[in-house]
Amino acid sequence: MADVCSGNAVEVQGLVRAFGARKALDRVDLTLPAGAFLSIFGPNGAGKTTLVKVLTTLTSPSKGTAKICGLDVVKDAVDLRSRIGLISHNPLLYPDLTAEENLEFFADMYGVIDPKQRIRELLASVELDHRRLDPVRTFSRGMLQRLSIARALLHRPDVVFLDEPYSGLDPHAMDILDSLIAQIREQHTFVMVSHDLAKGLELCSHALILAKGKVVLFEPRERIDPEEFAALYRATVGSGVA
Amino acid sequence: MTGAALSWRQFKAILRKDIVMELRTKEMLTSMGLYTLLTMVIYQVALSQTGSAFNVRLIAAGLLWLAFVFTSMLGLNRSLVHEKDQGVLDALLLSPIDRPIIFFAKAVGNFVFLMVVEIISLPVFWFLFLSGGGPASVPIFTTLWQLLFALVLGSIGIAGVGTLLATMSVNTTGKDFVLALLFIPLMYPLLLPAVSSSSAAILGGMGATQQFWQGIGIMAGYDVLMLLAAYALYEFIIGA
Repeated sequence: MADVCSGNAVEVQGLVRAFGARKALDRVDLTLPAGAFLSIFGPNGAGKTTLVKVLTTLTSPSKGTAKICGLDVVKDAVDLRSRIGLISHNPLLYPDLTAEENLEFFADMYGVIDPKQRIRELLASVELDHRRLDPVRTFSRGMLQRLSIARALLHRPDVVFLDEPYSGLDPHAMDILDSLIAQIREQHTFVMVSHDLAKGLELCSHALILAKGKVVLFEPRERIDPEEFAALYRATVGSGVA
Repeated sequence: MTGAALSWRQFKAILRKDIVMELRTKEMLTSMGLYTLLTMVIYQVALSQTGSAFNVRLIAAGLLWLAFVFTSMLGLNRSLVHEKDQGVLDALLLSPIDRPIIFFAKAVGNFVFLMVVEIISLPVFWFLFLSGGGPASVPIFTTLWQLLFALVLGSIGIAGVGTLLATMSVNTTGKDFVLALLFIPLMYPLLLPAVSSSSAAILGGMGATQQFWQGIGIMAGYDVLMLLAAYALYEFIIGA
């Protein structure tokens, strides 16, 4: 197993993911240093979620390679899973369990040491300690998303994947999520899928536009002019052509 | 934490979670229990016109297994529903868990729920069909351990194969139909010895002991083979 991410957090080479004749990802190349924040943009069906699924081992590549912290998504999948966390628009929590029971369950899944202490810390940081004994089905969308962040960070992952995390959140819940990301920004590498250009560019150190499974643009944030980027994004979404 | 210790912790967590959620929602136990009891009531209506000359003991084991096999399908269809409906299956698959651990935890949970329903409904079955006076009456305590032994081995097979097939069918449209279509043919080699050994337990008489142990042996072999096959296939099936 590789040490804590120090070089490249994400390395993707010639990645293809095909569903029958259709290529959801078509020869994607990508290298992201540890500690970076990648925002992925693209129209619906561009392959954004498929890319996240491959990188999180939820689906296998058809061709090419993908590595997270030096671990191959196919050969080292079990070890790799303990190095990543996923925050999705779907909270990935059991509604009939309490907040604390959900976190205890996932702490067992990841073999978290001293789970009670870690759960206390996380519930406090997402401001849900007062609701720890309530069933998750009684939570609002914003509270679910906060608990989902706690679930994803339980095992101290090196790389955090965010799949449209702001989807369906009210402005207050978005502010809380912003503040939580800011708190943990320094210790993690982030890969975020977003439709919100302004938010994605505000947070990122690198930006990627995908269309029809191909990379249209992949640049560090400092080389990106927001207006040109927005124009390219609109053209890509409008035509759907890479 | 060593691999084995983590696997044991993960196994216990999934099993405990399934039991806690079932005790809270009572979805599986209520539907399975009610279905079994209603099936037995329908049996009684169906057999009500057979007259006193008909010895219900001769078909009792078959009736019992028929009820339990169909009941188990109700529960098995729901065994991955919590994961699937809430999208939590992805969170489970994202964790560093060997996939067969998920299978064994789910199968043990299904086995426990099935046994609870069987143990609750067995006295009802006995009361409705086997407790009457005359030739139909069966001394319950002399055959109970044999019947329970057959039920345990049969239920292990049902839970093992059923959990594997429920995982295969969870992503399909019309999963109830798909599960039934795959489950019944695969259950056939288990059902024959299950009915045979249970029948020997209920009927007794000449050759019953040999018939009972022969059925038990075949069921044990079936269970081992199916559990090994499920262990080998589960990673592929749950990832498909």
